[in-house]
Amino acid sequence: MKLSSLLHLERQRFFPNTTFRMIVLLYVLFFALLWILAHLIGEKLTFGGTGQSFNPAKELFLYPRNWELLAYIGSWLNSSLIGFLGVFMITLEFNHKTLRQSVIFGLSRKDLFQSKVGSAVALALAATVWYVVLGCFGARETAPGISADWASFPGLYAFNFFLQSLGYFLLGTLTGLYVRQTALATLVYFAYAFFLESLFRWFFWFAISPTKALLFLPDRVFEGLTPFPIPQSVSNMVGSTISGNSLASAETIAAALAYIMVFTFFLHRKLCRSDL
Amino acid sequence: MPVLNVENLSKSYGKLAALNGLNLTVEQGQVFGLLGPNGSGKTTLLASVLDVVRPSEGTYSWFDGSDPKNTRRRIGALLETPNFYPYLNADQNLALVAGIKQVETPPLDSLLEMVHLRERRRSPFRSYSLGMKQRLALAACLVGDPDVLILDEPTNGLDPEGMIEVRRMIMEIAARGKTIILASHILDEVEKICSHVAIIKQGKRLAFGAVGSILGDSPTVEVGVSGENLDKLFQILSSHSLVQKVERKGNRLSIQMTAGKQPAELNRLAFDHGIILDHLVSKSRSLEAEFLEITRQ
Repeated sequence: MKLSSLLHLERQRFFPNTTFRMIVLLYVLFFALLWILAHLIGEKLTFGGTGQSFNPAKELFLYPRNWELLAYIGSWLNSSLIGFLGVFMITLEFNHKTLRQSVIFGLSRKDLFQSKVGSAVALALAATVWYVVLGCFGARETAPGISADWASFPGLYAFNFFLQSLGYFLLGTLTGLYVRQTALATLVYFAYAFFLESLFRWFFWFAISPTKALLFLPDRVFEGLTPFPIPQSVSNMVGSTISGNSLASAETIAAALAYIMVFTFFLHRKLCRSDL
Repeated sequence: MPVLNVENLSKSYGKLAALNGLNLTVEQGQVFGLLGPNGSGKTTLLASVLDVVRPSEGTYSWFDGSDPKNTRRRIGALLETPNFYPYLNADQNLALVAGIKQVETPPLDSLLEMVHLRERRRSPFRSYSLGMKQRLALAACLVGDPDVLILDEPTNGLDPEGMIEVRRMIMEIAARGKTIILASHILDEVEKICSHVAIIKQGKRLAFGAVGSILGDSPTVEVGVSGENLDKLFQILSSHSLVQKVERKGNRLSIQMTAGKQPAELNRLAFDHGIILDHLVSKSRSLEAEFLEITRQ
């Protein structure tokens, strides 16, 4: 079956669902609202006394760092709403046995797998498009000496944002695929993405050994695709102590791609090789 | 041409063998009944040939493997309870099925008319009664006019009128030369509808063939005689080749005759021994009786 037909089927399945529409709406609205809120708060932020006050966050609202800040804001929505969407969409199918039913109606296992991966890519792309749209409308103010136009659109930020959305969506899907119950799968996903991995990393880092391997854990890698944009003034004060806590950009992208491939492999194994 | 050929199919869940080296052939145009007690492996067998469950061993092929690309589009299936998206209505759910089967313009009106759901076509699936859900599942099976219908307990949840309607529908579809594979607990239903039958228990095939051959040609006869002649007749029949089994039931004898033998021969045997029968009723064996006997083995 053609990928376009499979995506059309996915659209027919999920677009009429109220929870699906609510999650998408929340993502769209929250992303825009948080971006506006960041502008309102960040631009008024001042440190120091009268005459000596300065705004360390000012540079984060100027091109090209504004794209970095926008990606960081979006990363919270990717790990929460996009990840949850992954959990919700697959557990909905399990709860109503519609995954199995689709195969009974004649969908091949291969088509089933392709439709799930296809919808993951399509949703990650849609999230990235919204990131770019918000960026184009609110992140074009330039720093002195830098000109920003459509040609200087920071593609790497968008690519990283896409990988992050896809990674969290697939992580959510995989959690749902193995746990199957919506409530439990949601709990497991949020516990892992927001607490368990961080707690493990910190414990291992401080109590046992600060090994670089800890930076390659899945949530850390996906977080690392859109790191917190530290203002230059803060970075100068802290110096090199921060750099040891993060991977290089190329390493992060390679690790994220590897995780996406591993998640896709498990998705294939579960959908194409197991009982439904 | 065999529509479905199952060879040595096995499926295990840990130590439990749901299917145990099962062999089966369903020919084109047959209305094939699959009988077995609860947990005998009927649904596992159907789920395996529909690719929902992965067999541990063995193989199966549809249409002799002649049309692998379109195989699944030629099969309409209803397995266990009907599963649809609860927030979608009948039209939307059937449109999804049509999309899966790649039917561009499905005749939704006539399908919904056939299963009496036309008036409720815009109601979400979750608001349907069990009978309505079952009827929608039947409509979904018929999308794309498949060559083979697989129906697992198709009359579940239907009222008597609905059951009769479904049976009539199955007969009509079968009359158009379609092949139907029907799993049912209702033996009377299978006997009325099916041309061929397989009886399975604990994943093994116990009996297989045309319904007539399963029922056999050994009728059960009930006879009555007066006074002590009943004991005498019992003695004679107990060791006679005309009879497979004889039992006393009050002042009557219930006799299962040897295959191919007729009640008239029994009457003659009694007369030759000076016994006049005052009651003789020949009863044909029901599928239910045959099923119970086979599955008790």
